[in-house]
Amino acid sequence: MDLIAQQLVNGLSAGVAYALVALGLTLIFGVLHVINFAHGELYMLGGLVTVIACNLLGVPYLVTLVLAPVIMLVVGVGLDKLAIGPLLDRRDGLSDVVLSTFAVSLLLLDLVLAVVGPAPERVEGLSGVLILGPVIISHQRLFVIVLGFILIAGLDAMLRYSRFGIEMRAAAQDRFAAEAVGIDVNAIGTRTIMLGAAIAGIAGALLVPVTQFTPLMGQNVVIKAFVVVVIGGMGSVPGAVLCGVGLGLIEALVNIRFSEGMTTAIIYSLLLVGLLMRPQGLFGRAAR
Amino acid sequence: MQTNIRTWIFAAVGLALTFGTASGQDTVKIGLLAPTKSLVGKQIVQGGQLAADLINADGGILGSRKVELVVYDTAFQPNEGVAAAQRLIDQDGVKVIAGEISSTVALAVLQVARASGTLFIAAVPKHPDLTNSGYDRVFRMNSTTAMDSEFETVLRDQIKPTKVAVLVENSDFGRLTIDNLKKLFGPKVVLAETYEMNQSDFSTLVTKAKASGADLVCVAGSNMEQYGAILRMEAEFQMQATRCVMPGVLNSRGVTIAGKGAEGTVSADIYVPTLNNPLNQRFVAAYQAKFKETPEKVEEVSFESVWLAAKAMDKAGTATDTSKIAEVLRANTWVSPRGEVKFDNTGQASSGPLIRLTVENGRLVPAK
Repeated sequence: MDLIAQQLVNGLSAGVAYALVALGLTLIFGVLHVINFAHGELYMLGGLVTVIACNLLGVPYLVTLVLAPVIMLVVGVGLDKLAIGPLLDRRDGLSDVVLSTFAVSLLLLDLVLAVVGPAPERVEGLSGVLILGPVIISHQRLFVIVLGFILIAGLDAMLRYSRFGIEMRAAAQDRFAAEAVGIDVNAIGTRTIMLGAAIAGIAGALLVPVTQFTPLMGQNVVIKAFVVVVIGGMGSVPGAVLCGVGLGLIEALVNIRFSEGMTTAIIYSLLLVGLLMRPQGLFGRAAR
Repeated sequence: MQTNIRTWIFAAVGLALTFGTASGQDTVKIGLLAPTKSLVGKQIVQGGQLAADLINADGGILGSRKVELVVYDTAFQPNEGVAAAQRLIDQDGVKVIAGEISSTVALAVLQVARASGTLFIAAVPKHPDLTNSGYDRVFRMNSTTAMDSEFETVLRDQIKPTKVAVLVENSDFGRLTIDNLKKLFGPKVVLAETYEMNQSDFSTLVTKAKASGADLVCVAGSNMEQYGAILRMEAEFQMQATRCVMPGVLNSRGVTIAGKGAEGTVSADIYVPTLNNPLNQRFVAAYQAKFKETPEKVEEVSFESVWLAAKAMDKAGTATDTSKIAEVLRANTWVSPRGEVKFDNTGQASSGPLIRLTVENGRLVPAK
């Protein structure tokens, strides 16, 4: 019983991490209908900003939670102007973007490997652990869960009520109709990529004290994020959140009985079954 | 503007090619395999590079020919290892391959080496099968898991655990460790779990270890990011069990990653940088000067794999006759930073007694 309680907490913490990484990916897909293969590297760069700020410049950890997304906003603009925006209007724009973002991903990874090197780096986040009976959770993990949910709620509110959010949803639903009512869909696209990059950045900053920084951290997590986005329904924000948290919890519970490799196999089997039964994902709309 | 950039690119490529071929003439190429995108891979590359540097500084081999290292990434993947080895042999014309850490990769590379008669001096891989294949041109610098068994006896007789949890990477090395510890401790092994080579969250693994009630937790994995994070989680989950990292993998970088989780961890290895012999002092000083770090076991065995390859070529008087180079390697006693090294008939390097290690105040030190 104690084991299950602890695993539920572990799973929740992992699940919020999956959801945070998947969020930016699904947002960009929702609005622009492109798959951003560089998303894992944006997450890694968020972690790198935190490492440099905390360990080299002595910036307090909590400040980097603001710094990382702000810097990633700028990276997002660059990504859009160089690798996404100019390609979208081409005849095969959507598949070109898959290749161009993949190229950006390799470029960023190799650049970081060349400049920073492959050495893992630790960042001290919040110290200490919380003990609740049989369950132990570090303050940093608890912080990830709490702040993760606050961010998700904030994003949801923004999408529902702010002008930008409404325009974004309009562009996601029907690009042509959105343009017809005077929405600058190109500008919305740029801002969506910036927002996606910023979320990836803050996810990196939040998680780097838990998992430590390595240049490969993006590659390792992005596959799971794709799974979350596909099962949740490409482009669906609630889908990404529920599936991210759900994946974390299922993984943790299956893991009690099975080994890590077996757990992964079970998860991917579920993905396959899910896709066969609901190709549009749990929360996606069926294509007409 | 566009043509301008193009002209520059052509000029640069041309220049690189010119210099490339100029320096490529009359050098002796030695291939080096490593998962270069990981820290441990970087250590292998640096160790091998230093060996080439020192040999070239001493005037080269075979009548002042320089040694040139050709490095390819194997990314801990056997298929990448095979492709890299094939490229070394076919494109670069390499006759001797050194380096590598993963047993799984090395066993795959062995097949390629065997098919082409290439000499393979593996640096770190620990799986005994590598040198039990019957191929006469394979060598290994590191100790094998079988040679490390004296450490397992220490665990049994001095730590006297009642329940043992074994957490290992999902590789040949990891699974072999599970087999060995199950043989030694029998039913006392209450948990044996593997983790994936790209895993970064170990909370579940450590939760299971804690729930198993083990009073000794043995970790085996070559990737210090991973075993460091496991040790750290054990401390975070306030586990009281004795922590052990199986011989040959614990190093100071891993200790730093583990933080206070490393304190009191027991381990052992065949090399420590404080050994008192002239070549070791030269090796450590040159490494520190070039890379601003102190070399440890991985760097040392990688250094040895390139150093001995070059020395054996020199002594055999050939850079291409791998059968003769192998014969010379087996027939002689070699000086290396760890002291004297001899190879047995299978190509396994001798090693002195294992040096027991522990962590005190964040530093990896020989155990008292």
